[in-house]
Amino acid sequence: MALIILAACNQPGNSQPALVQLDPARIGHYGFGSVAKADEIAGWNIDIRPDGKGLPEGQGSVEDGEWIYEAQCAECHGSFGEGVGRFPVLAGGMDSLRDFRPTKTIGSYWPYTSTLYDYIYRAMPFTQPQSLSVDETYAVTAYVLYLNDLVGDDFELNQHNLANIPLPNRAGFTRDPRPDVANIRCMENCRDPAKIKILSETLPSVQQDYTSGIEPASTKANAGQSIYTQACKLCHESGLAGAPVHGEKDQWETRIAQGLDKLVSRAITGFTGDSGVMPPKGGFTQLSDEEIRLAVTYMVESVP
Amino acid sequence: MGDKQLDEWLQSIASEGAALPVTERRGFLKQALTLFGSAAVGSSLGTSAFADAQNLPPNVPVWTRSLGSGVVSNPYGKPSDFESHVKRRTVDWLTADRIASVSFTPLGDLKGIITPSAVVFERYHAGLPQINPHEHRLMIHGMVERPIILSMEDLMRFPSTSMIRFLECPANGGMEWRGAQMDRLQFSHGMLACCEWTGVMLSTLLEEVGIKKDARWILAEGADGAHMSRSIPMAKALDDAIIVYAQNGEALRPEQGYPVRLINPGWEGNTSIKWLRRLKVGDKPWHHREETSKYTDLMADGSAREFTFVQECNSVVTCPCPEKPEKNKGKLWIEGLAWSGRGKIKHVDISVNGGVSWRPASFTSQVLPKALTRFGLEWDWDGSPALIQSRAVDETAYVQPTYGQLRAVRGTNSIYHKNAIHTWKLYPDGKVSNVQIS
Repeated sequence: MALIILAACNQPGNSQPALVQLDPARIGHYGFGSVAKADEIAGWNIDIRPDGKGLPEGQGSVEDGEWIYEAQCAECHGSFGEGVGRFPVLAGGMDSLRDFRPTKTIGSYWPYTSTLYDYIYRAMPFTQPQSLSVDETYAVTAYVLYLNDLVGDDFELNQHNLANIPLPNRAGFTRDPRPDVANIRCMENCRDPAKIKILSETLPSVQQDYTSGIEPASTKANAGQSIYTQACKLCHESGLAGAPVHGEKDQWETRIAQGLDKLVSRAITGFTGDSGVMPPKGGFTQLSDEEIRLAVTYMVESVP
Repeated sequence: MGDKQLDEWLQSIASEGAALPVTERRGFLKQALTLFGSAAVGSSLGTSAFADAQNLPPNVPVWTRSLGSGVVSNPYGKPSDFESHVKRRTVDWLTADRIASVSFTPLGDLKGIITPSAVVFERYHAGLPQINPHEHRLMIHGMVERPIILSMEDLMRFPSTSMIRFLECPANGGMEWRGAQMDRLQFSHGMLACCEWTGVMLSTLLEEVGIKKDARWILAEGADGAHMSRSIPMAKALDDAIIVYAQNGEALRPEQGYPVRLINPGWEGNTSIKWLRRLKVGDKPWHHREETSKYTDLMADGSAREFTFVQECNSVVTCPCPEKPEKNKGKLWIEGLAWSGRGKIKHVDISVNGGVSWRPASFTSQVLPKALTRFGLEWDWDGSPALIQSRAVDETAYVQPTYGQLRAVRGTNSIYHKNAIHTWKLYPDGKVSNVQIS
C-alpha cells in the first residue's frame, strides 16, 4: 500500500491533510485493466487548455460559423447571443460585473478563448453533444468571438491563433482567499434586541410562485406543458385520484375517443367517473378556460 | 391553496386512500376531493385527521387482525406508502429546463446523518445518462508512466475503502444572497446530502499508473452528454479523493453517477464528477467552462474568485422549519444539521431571539470529519414569535458567519458558497417562515 506520511501536527486550527507519498516501485503493482493504447486515448482525449494544448488541427471562419450557429445554436442562445428564456447569454454585458444584475458572457466574464472551443466541442449543441466536427467547432467558436466584437467578420480561427486571442476579463480572476470572514462565538448580550429588523421574508404558508421566473411560453404547446407542470402533473403523473396517467395510451384512448371538447369541458367543470374524480380545473380555479384547454391539448397530444 | 398544502393534501389522500379496500377507496376519494377547492383546508387537517378511531385504543387495529403480504413482495424494498411525501422536489424557475437542472433533498423529513440514496439531491448538466456498466470504462492517462483503461470489474479488484462524507452543491442557498427567497428548508438548503461512499482511493490508482515529476493537476471528466470536467489539484487527489462505486451499501444510484464517480470530500459537489470516464494528469489546470464561466465567485468589485473548492462550515435548523410547523407550545426539541469541509464540527449554538443570546446544542449523532452532524436542544416555547438560528464552529475554530459579514466582503453576486447563519421566524400559530434580519 501507499506510504502514509501523517502531517506533523494535526492540531485544531490546522487542517493539514495526511498526505500520501507515491512509491515509484509500485507502478503497475496490481496490473489490473489494460494499458491504454494511443488510438483508444485519442478518441476520448478532447480537453483543451488555455495555452492551446490539446487543440486539434483544423480551421473555421466567422462566415462558416454563422450558418452553423443559426442552424444549431440560435434556438437557445438567440441570433445575437442574447439568450432565449433562461438559456445562457453569450455576448454583451461588457462592464456589467459590478452591476446589481451582472451579465456574465464570453466577452464580459470568461477568461480564456480555449474554454469556448473546449465547451462547444465537449457539450454542444445541447441535444447533440460532440456532433460538431473539428472545423465546425472552430467556425462556431470564431462566430461567437465575432458576436462579442472580439474578431472581424473575415476572421478565420485555427489551432495556431486560438490561444493568442485574449478575452477582455482575463485578469479578472483571483485565487481563493477564504476564510475571509471572522465571526466570534459570542453567547450572551451579543446584540441589541431593539436593532433587530426583518429585512426580507418569505410567506410562512409556502405560497412561493414556482413559475415567476419562467419566460412567457412562445408556443401553445409550451404553454400547455407549462400549465400541465404547474397544475395537472401532481395527479396526472402518478394517477392519483384515478387520474389518467400522462402519456399512458391505454388510459387515454377511450377518453380521447370522446373528443377534445368534451375532455376540456369536463376538466373545466369537474367530473366524477367510475374510476376517479376530476375536480373543477384540478383545483386550480385561477386558471382560465383557455389555459385548461391548452393543458388538456398538451396531455392528449402526448399520448403516443 | 398553496402548492405545498396541495401537495400534502394530495399525499394524505393518496396514502389514506391506498390503505382502504377498493370499494371504500372510491367513496373516500370522492368525499376527500369534494373538499378540494375549499379554502378551509388548513394545517389542522394533517394526516392525524385521517386516523380512524376504529384503529385506535381500546380497539385493535385492522392490521393486527389480519395477515400481511409475504416475503419478497418488494424484492428491493420501498418506503411505506405513508411516506410518499418524502421526495426530491425542484423549482422550475431556477433553470431553463429540467435536463440541465437541480432537485433538492427533503431535509426536513430525514433523520440522523445518512441521506437515503433515493432522495439525494440531483444536479445534471445534460440529463441523467443510462450507462451499461459492462460497457463503461475509466481511462487514466496524461503525465503518467503507465496509462490504463479499467472496466468496473477491474476497478473493484483494487483495495476498497468506505467513508461517510457530506456532498453539497456550492450553489446551495445561492438564491438567498440578495434576500430571503426560498420558502422552505428543502429549497433553501436541500442541495446537501451525506452518504457512506465506497470505492478506491484515488491515490491508490495514481500509484498504480505512476505520476510524472511535474504533475500538479488532474482533469476529471464525466461520460454524460456534458462531459462534465473539472481540474483537481494533485494535493487533493493524494489526500482523500475517492473513486466511488457504492453508496450507502448499494451500487451508486444512476442519479449519483452510476457506475462510478469521483468524491472530493468537503469540496464543492461540482468537482465530484459523476459517471466518471477519464482522469488526465497534467501540470496546469484546464480552466474549463465549469471552473471559469460557472463555479467562480463574483465579488462586488467585479473581480471573481476561481477554484473556490472548500465548502465552509455551515448549519441549519431542520425542526422547526416551514415544512414542519410547530403544532404545540411547551417543550420543543429544536434540531438541525451542521457540517464543515475543513473537518469536524466542534460546537453548535442555538438562538431563539435573533442572535441576542445563544445556548450550546448537544450532538445527537456521531461527529465525523466532513460529514453531516446532527444537533439538538430542548426549549420551552411560550408561544411568542421567535427568531431561531443555529451557528456552527468547526475544528479549525472557524465560526459560521452572518449574512452581514459575508456581504461586507463579497457583495451579493457571488452565487456560490453562501454559508451564513440562517433564521427561521416562528409565528404564534406555529407556522415558520424564512427571514433575513439586520
